Amino acid sequence: MIEAVLKVKQNTISQQGEAFSRTILGINFGQSYASIAVIDKEGHPTCIANEEGERQIACAISYVGEQVYIGNGALPHLVKNGKNTIMGFRNLLGHTYDEVDHTTILTAPLLADSQTPAYTVDILVPPPKPASNPRSAAASGTATPNPAALEPVASTKTITVPEVTSLFLSTLFQSAIDFLGVKPTSCVISAPTWFTKQQHDQLRESAEKAGITVLQVLDEAAAVLVGYRVGNAGEEEKRDKKVVVLDMGETSLAITVVLVSEGEYTVLNKGRDDKLGGREFDNLLLKHFSKEFTKKTKVQLDLPCGPDASAADKRADAKLVLAVEHTKRSLSASSGAATCAVESLKDGYDLSSSINRLRFDGLASNVYRQVGNKLNETVKESGLDLSQIDEILLAGASTLFTGLQQHLSLLVSPTTPVTSTIDPSEVIAIGCALQALHLESLPSQDLKVNDVLSTFKEKVDVTSQPIGVVIPGSSSDEVSAVIIDSGAPLPVRRRVAIPTSGVSKGSKIALELWEGKHEVKIEKVERAPIEKSDSDDEEDDEEEEDEEIKTPITKKVKALGGVEVEIKDESELLLEVIVQRNGGLQVKAWQQGHEDSADKFEV
Amino acid sequence: MASVVTLPIKLNATPSGWSKPSSSKPSSSIELPLYPAGPSFIGLARRQILQRSFEEDDKFILSEREKLQSEKEDKGDGLQYPGLGEEDEPQHVLNQDPKEWKKQDHYAVLGLGHLRYKAHDEHIRVAHRRKVLRHHPDKKAAQHGANDDSFFKCIQKAHETLTNNDKRKQFDSVDWNIEDEVPDLKSLKPEEFVDICNKVFAREGRFSKVQPVPEFGSLDAPKKEVEGFYDFFYNFDSWRSFEWHDKEVNEGSDNRDDKRFTEKKNKSERTRRKKEDNTRLRVLVDDVLALDPRIKRIKAEEKAARDAKKKGTSATPKVLTPAEKKAAEEKKKKEEAEKKEAEKKALEASKGDREVAKKAKEAARKNLKKWKKAIATVISSSNYFQAAGTAPSASVIEKQLSELDLLVELSEPEEIKDLKEKIEKAGSGEPAKQALVERANALGEKGQGKFTEFA
Repeated sequence: MIEAVLKVKQNTISQQGEAFSRTILGINFGQSYASIAVIDKEGHPTCIANEEGERQIACAISYVGEQVYIGNGALPHLVKNGKNTIMGFRNLLGHTYDEVDHTTILTAPLLADSQTPAYTVDILVPPPKPASNPRSAAASGTATPNPAALEPVASTKTITVPEVTSLFLSTLFQSAIDFLGVKPTSCVISAPTWFTKQQHDQLRESAEKAGITVLQVLDEAAAVLVGYRVGNAGEEEKRDKKVVVLDMGETSLAITVVLVSEGEYTVLNKGRDDKLGGREFDNLLLKHFSKEFTKKTKVQLDLPCGPDASAADKRADAKLVLAVEHTKRSLSASSGAATCAVESLKDGYDLSSSINRLRFDGLASNVYRQVGNKLNETVKESGLDLSQIDEILLAGASTLFTGLQQHLSLLVSPTTPVTSTIDPSEVIAIGCALQALHLESLPSQDLKVNDVLSTFKEKVDVTSQPIGVVIPGSSSDEVSAVIIDSGAPLPVRRRVAIPTSGVSKGSKIALELWEGKHEVKIEKVERAPIEKSDSDDEEDDEEEEDEEIKTPITKKVKALGGVEVEIKDESELLLEVIVQRNGGLQVKAWQQGHEDSADKFEV
Repeated sequence: MASVVTLPIKLNATPSGWSKPSSSKPSSSIELPLYPAGPSFIGLARRQILQRSFEEDDKFILSEREKLQSEKEDKGDGLQYPGLGEEDEPQHVLNQDPKEWKKQDHYAVLGLGHLRYKAHDEHIRVAHRRKVLRHHPDKKAAQHGANDDSFFKCIQKAHETLTNNDKRKQFDSVDWNIEDEVPDLKSLKPEEFVDICNKVFAREGRFSKVQPVPEFGSLDAPKKEVEGFYDFFYNFDSWRSFEWHDKEVNEGSDNRDDKRFTEKKNKSERTRRKKEDNTRLRVLVDDVLALDPRIKRIKAEEKAARDAKKKGTSATPKVLTPAEKKAAEEKKKKEEAEKKEAEKKALEASKGDREVAKKAKEAARKNLKKWKKAIATVISSSNYFQAAGTAPSASVIEKQLSELDLLVELSEPEEIKDLKEKIEKAGSGEPAKQALVERANALGEKGQGKFTEFA
C-alpha cells in the first residue's frame, strides 16, 4: 500500500511537472519601457513586477564605477552620470550609425567610428589579483602589498546596441525566472509595427544571445489585438470588425487600422508619428513647472532645454523629468491634483507645486488634437471613414490619460467603444504571453511553430468587397446585412442564422446574395435650438453650420445569386457562405435540422 | 469551428414573381498583410498546411475536443484528483440516514465504489476532500438555504471508518458489495475454470495476512507454481474478522451482567463466523483442487516422464549419481513398504475369511444333530434296510446307528447336510442305503474297514 501511495504521489508530481514544463513568457520591449507577462497557474496571463516591484521597467542601463544599473535604477543616474547611461537603444537595432539620429542631450553618445551603433562608457574594472605566491607571502621579509594596486582601474568599455539589448533582455529574463522559479521555455517578444525584417532578425538574435527561446517576434499592434482577445470573445461579437489599435508610448505614436475577420487580423493601414508620445506630455509639464519655478524663485529656468544649455539646466531637466513621471501617473490615476516636488532643482531652490486634471487637459489639448489628426489621417489613408471604425483599442502608458480617451471617443461614432479594459501599459506584454501560449498549445502533432508562422508570406489574398444578403423584394439600395466584410483572408467561411418566426409553414423564403460597397451616408441635421442655449457662446459661434451625422452603409453593387428554402417548422434559417482562395463561392441555406433539404449553389 | 451569428433581419415569405438572380463570381481578391497572431490565425495556418477544408477541420477539432474531454475524464478532475475518476452520486446514497452507519456503504459515500478494498490511503484522503468541498453544510446553506448536513455526517463517518486501519479491516471483512459467489465449477470448460478461479482467488487473497498472494495461474502453469498455490491456500492466514456484525453493547446500561452477556455472545458469534469462513475457504480449495485440470495434466506428465525414464534406463544402464541413487533407494524403500502393507492387508483379509468359516461351522454343528436325526429317521423308516416284513435284529440296529455316528463324526457338516438332503430325496429303502454307502466310501482311508453295514 505504501508503494501504491508513493506511486500516486509520483504521478501527481509528474503531471504537475508536465503542466509546468512549458512556462511561457511575453516580453513587451518598448523604446523607453519594457514589461513582462507570464501565464499564471490558473492559465491567465499576468503582467509581473521585477525585483524592485515595478511593472514598467525602464529601458536604461547605467555604468557607475564598478556597478551596472539596469532598469528603473539606472534612471536617477541620468542626473549625475548621464554620459555613462544608455537609453533609447531599441530603435537603433538593425541600423547602421549613418541611418540613425545621433544627437543626444544627456545619455551616452554613439560612437562615430563604429558601423553598428555603439556606446563607450567609463567604467572601473576590478584590480588584477596580485600574483603572489602563497608560500612566499608567509615569509616575513616581503613588503606589504601596495594598496594602490588593489584600487579598481579606470577604464572604458565599448558596447554595441545588440549587446546592450541582450544585456537588458537578460535582466528581464532573470526577473521572470525569479518570479516563476523555473526558466521560461518559450517566449514572444514585441517589436514596433514599423520594424523592418532586418530589425526583427536583429532583435531575435539579441534575445537568443540572452538565453531566451524566442518563438516569435510579434508586432506590437498584433500583440494588443491578441491581448484584448479581439474576435475570439464569444458568440455575441460581430464577425467582422474594423479596429484601430492606438499605441502611444513614451516616445512615439503608432496607429494601425485592422480588419478583424473572425479573429484573423488583416492590416489595412499603419501610421506612425515618432515625435508624438509621452515625452510631449513631459515637455508640457516641464514647461509648466519651470515657469512656476521661475515665478516663485525668480531663478531663470527654461525647460525643456536644448543641447547647448548649461550643465545646471541639463541637470534640472533630468531631475524634473524624473519627478514629472510620478505627476503623470497620478494625473491619469486620480482626478485630484497631482503634485510635483523636486529638491534643489536649480541653484539650491526646491520646487513644490501641483497641477489638476483640467489644467493639464488644457495644456495638452494640442497634443490630443495632434493624436486625433493622426488617427483621422491614418484611417482616411486606408479608405475608411472614422464613423466606420467599430472599436479603438488603446495601448501604451500615455493613453491612460482620461482627457485623451475622451477626445478620441468624440472623434468616432458614439457607439464605438474606446477600449482600455486591460491596463494599456500591460496589454502588449499580456498579448505576447497569450500568443506564446497559443503557439505552444498547437492542436496537432504535425504542426510546428515555425511552419505555422511561415505559412503565409507578408501578404495574403483577401476579399476586396463585402458580401451580404438582401431580402428579395426590398426596394432599398442597401445590403440588408453584411456577411463577409472586405479584407477577410481567403478562404473564408461564415454561418449565419436568420429567424423565420411569423412565416407560415409550407411557404418559401428566399435570400439574395449581393456584393456590396461600403459608403458613408451623411445626413445633415439642424442643430436643436435648446442645445444652442445650453452650450457656450464661444463654441456656438464656431459651429454655426448644421451638424453632420455619418452612418456607414453598404450599397448593393452586384448580385451573386440566390437561395430559396421551404419552411418546415419554426426553427431558424441557416446560411453558409464560403469564399475559396481562387475566388469561388459556395452558398448553402437550410433550416435547422433539415440539412438534407438544403438549397445551394456554387460559382 | 463555425460559429453562428443571428442576423438582425426578419424574413418574409418570398414575394410572388421573384426569381433567383443569376449567380456570378465575386470580385477578384486583393492582397493585404496579415498579422501572424491569435488563435484564428493558427486555425487558418493549420487548414493551409494540412490542406483541410472547413468541414474536415471541423471534424478534426471536434475529435480533438472529445479526446481532451475523455482524457480529462480519465484523470478525474484533472490534476487535483489523479486516477480517482468521477462517480455518480445516486439519490439513495445522498439520502441515507447517518444513524444507520452500519448499513452504510462507506466506499460509495466517498465515491470510491469502483475501487473498494483496492483504494489506498491517498485515494481516500483525496476523495474525502473532494466530497467535503462539494457537500459541506456551509456551502449547502449558501446554495439552498437549507440546513441539511446528514450526508456530510455520512461522509465524515465514512472517512473515520476508512482511515482507521482496524475499522477499515472490519468493514472490508464484511463488505457486502463484493459478491463472493462461486459458480458451479463442474460445468465449466478448463479455460473458463482457470479464468473464474483466478478471479475468485484474487478476491479471497485480499484477506491474507501474507502478501503478495500467489495467483491461481494459467492453464499451463508449472507444477511448482500450482503446488505453491495450493500450499498457500491450505495454510491460508486470514485477517478477516466479524466485529462488524457485533450487537451493540448497551453502554448506558448499568447492568454489568447484561454487558458481559452481550460481549460473550458477540465473541462466540465472531468465532463461529470465523470458523465458518475458514471452512468455506477450505471447501472451496478442496473443490477446486479436485476439479483442477492442471493436476491431471501434471500427473499425466509425470507418468509419461517416469515411463520414458524406465525405458531410458533399460536401454542404457548408466552410472547413477548419488542423488539418483538416493532417489532409487527411497523408491525401493517405498516399494518395500508398499509390499509389506499389501501383505499385511492380505493377511488381514484371510483372517476375516477364517472367522467367517468358523462361524459357518459352528452353525453347521448346531444343525448336525438335526441332520443326523433326520438320517436316522429315514433309516428306521426303511426298516434298517432289511427285507420288508422281517423285524431287524437288535444287533443290526445298533450296528447301523453306531456306524452312522461314526460317519457323521468323520465327515464335514456340509457333507452330512448333502447326505441328509440326498437321503431325504431318495425317501427310503435301497437308494438311501446307496447314498450312505457312497458317503462311507467317500471318506476313503479315514473310514476304511470301519464300516460293515454301509460298505
